[in-house]
Amino acid sequence: MTRRSKLLPALAVSALAIAAGQNAQAHHSFAMYDLNETYVFTGVVVRVDPNPNHLQLFFAPLNANHDQVLKDDKGEPIVWSVEMMGAAQEAKDGISVNGFPRGTIFSVGLHPLRNGKRAGGRRESGLFKCPANTPPPPGKHCDSVPGSTAHGPGVLPEPTRPAPLGEP
Amino acid sequence: MTSFVIRARRTAVCKRAVARWPERCCTGALVSIALVLGQGIASAQPSAGRGAPDPLRPMVVVGAEAKGLFTGAGVPEGNQPILAARDGHVPPGVTPLPVDVFVSKDFYKDRALWSDPRYFRCNAPTGLESQWGAYEGTIVGDDPPRTGAWGYCDRDYPRDQIVSPYAFKTAKAHYEALLAEATAKGGPTIYTQATLPRWDGAYQRERDKRSSWFNGAILQIPTYLSLLTPEYQTRFVQQMYHYAADNSPQWPGSYCWPEGFLRRFAQYGSSRWRVVMTPELVLMLGQAAENVMTQIHIGRKFNEEGVVPRLGPDVPQWYGETVGFWDGEALITWTSNIQGWINHGGMEFSNKMQSVEIYTPRKDGAGKVTGLRHEAILYDEEALVDPVRIVHYWSKTAELNEGDPYVWMECIPQSYPIDGFTTPMTPGSTFEYTLPDMYGRPWAEIWERYREQGMEHPKPKSLFGL
Repeated sequence: MTRRSKLLPALAVSALAIAAGQNAQAHHSFAMYDLNETYVFTGVVVRVDPNPNHLQLFFAPLNANHDQVLKDDKGEPIVWSVEMMGAAQEAKDGISVNGFPRGTIFSVGLHPLRNGKRAGGRRESGLFKCPANTPPPPGKHCDSVPGSTAHGPGVLPEPTRPAPLGEP
Repeated sequence: MTSFVIRARRTAVCKRAVARWPERCCTGALVSIALVLGQGIASAQPSAGRGAPDPLRPMVVVGAEAKGLFTGAGVPEGNQPILAARDGHVPPGVTPLPVDVFVSKDFYKDRALWSDPRYFRCNAPTGLESQWGAYEGTIVGDDPPRTGAWGYCDRDYPRDQIVSPYAFKTAKAHYEALLAEATAKGGPTIYTQATLPRWDGAYQRERDKRSSWFNGAILQIPTYLSLLTPEYQTRFVQQMYHYAADNSPQWPGSYCWPEGFLRRFAQYGSSRWRVVMTPELVLMLGQAAENVMTQIHIGRKFNEEGVVPRLGPDVPQWYGETVGFWDGEALITWTSNIQGWINHGGMEFSNKMQSVEIYTPRKDGAGKVTGLRHEAILYDEEALVDPVRIVHYWSKTAELNEGDPYVWMECIPQSYPIDGFTTPMTPGSTFEYTLPDMYGRPWAEIWERYREQGMEHPKPKSLFGL
C-alpha cells in the first residue's frame, strides 16, 4: 500500500474534536485500540451493522493487485471490522446499510486493537467509497479513483506500517 | 398454489366434509368453512383503502395442534390434541409422499414438493412448530421425526382472504389515497388534547388461534408459501424443516435478540398493549420477550429521498418509523424504515417492509370505548408477492393508572445456541459461542452451521466471491 496524503494538522484537530464530541455517549472505553498504530485498508464490504452505539463496517481487504480479497489458508475471506460512531451519526455522512451494501469497495484508516484481533477504531480517519465495482489501481486507495465519494471529515492517514493479516 | 391439494381425493373428501365445511365443496377451493364469529364488522364508510369486510373466520384449525384450541400456559386437564394422525400412522384416504419435511435429507432439493401439503404432513405452520413440544404439548411420537403427526389435509384457508382487498401496490399509494379521502372531507381531523379521542388505556388483543391467518394455525403451509417470493419461500421452508425434522427452533426471544416489527402482530408475543394519546404523538407499547413499541407521529411527513421513506437518519429501525393522521375517529398510519427480521412460526421480512394500519374504536351502547379494531396491510416487495392484510380486535382491560404498572422487558440472556440447540446455561459455565450476525439471519446461520451438513444450500454469487 502506498503512503497517502499527509494529514493537515488543522483538519486533524477539527476531525478529532468532532469525533470526540460525537462519541460522548460511547458505550465502551477506547483504550482497547492502539492509538499509536494506524493501518490503512481498501476492502470490500461484507456487512454493515447499524448499531445505535457504534456502527461497524465489516470488510474483506483487497490483495496487493486489487483483483481479489485476502483469504486464509482455508480459502475463506479474511474479514476485518472498523468501528465508528453511532449509526445515526454515520448515516448523516452516508455510511449506512443502504449506502454501503455488500460488495461496496472503500478505503479507511483505523487504529487496531491492542490484542491483534482483526478490528479497529476509525477515529479521525477519512473514509472514501469507490464507484461501484471499481477498485483502485494497485498501490492506490479509493480517494484516488475518479468518481469516489468522501464520507465524513478527514483524509486517509499515513499508515504506521502495513496491516498484518491479524488474528481471527 | 393451493389448488393442487390432493385433487384426486376432492370428491370423496367433499362428500365427507360437506356437512362441516360446505363452502369449500361449493366453491371448489377446498377450504374449511369460514364462519364469521360475530365482531367481524367493518366501517360502513365507503373507502378505497379501509373498511373492507373482515377476513372470514374459520371454526376449525388445520392442526396438528398439541393443545387443541387452548392458548394458555401449561397443558389443560383433559387436553385433546387436534390432529389427523400420529405415531407413524397416516390419515385415512391420504397417500403420503415418499419424502416429506420430517424425513428429508435435503429439503432444498425437494422444492417441487413444497406446493403439496403432504410434504408438510398437512400441518399448518404452528402444527410443525408445536410437534416437539414448543407450546408444552408433544405430538411428534416415540420415534421422531419419523412419527411426526399429521394435520387435516382437507382444511385450508382461502388465499383471497389473506391478500389485501385494496387495489394499492405500495404503502405510499395506499396512505396517500386515504389522506386524500380525509382531505376531500375537510380533514385530516386536527385534535387538541381536550378533543382527542380517549383511547388511553391497557388492551388485550384476541389470542384465539383462529382469529387471524397470521397466527399460523388455519392455513396449509403451501398457501402461506403462495404469498412469498421464491427466496422467502426457501427461508420459510428452512424454518419449517428445523421445527419438524431436528427440533432446532431459533426463536429470537429465546436469546434476547430483537423481536422485530412483525412481532407486533404475533399471537403470543405481544398481545398486551398500552396506548398513550397526545395530539402530536400516539404511543403504543407492548410486551414480548422485549419491549415492542409503535410511535405514531401525527401530521408528520416522511423523507422519501432514500431507499425507503423515513423520518430520521438512514438507519433501519426494529419497529420502523410511523406517521399518521386522523380521519374523524379513524387513526391512519404508515410505517416504513423497518429492519428486516423474522416472526417465528411465520414469514421473514425485508427492509422493504412497510405497513398501512387503521385503528378505529369499538364502543358500547353508551359510546364508551371498549376496544379497538386494528386493520393492517403489509407491503414488502422483496418478501411478498401480494400485499397481505391482518385484522385484529383489541379489548380494553384497564385505564392506564389501574392495575400493575408497565413492566419494562429488559431481556437478560440465559439461553445460548449450543451445538445449534437453544440451551439455558448456568452462571459460571464456560462454553464455545459463535457470535451471530445480528443484521443478517442469525437463526439461519445456526441451522446452516449445525444442522444442514451435506445439504446443497443455494448461495448467491457476489463480487470477489464473498
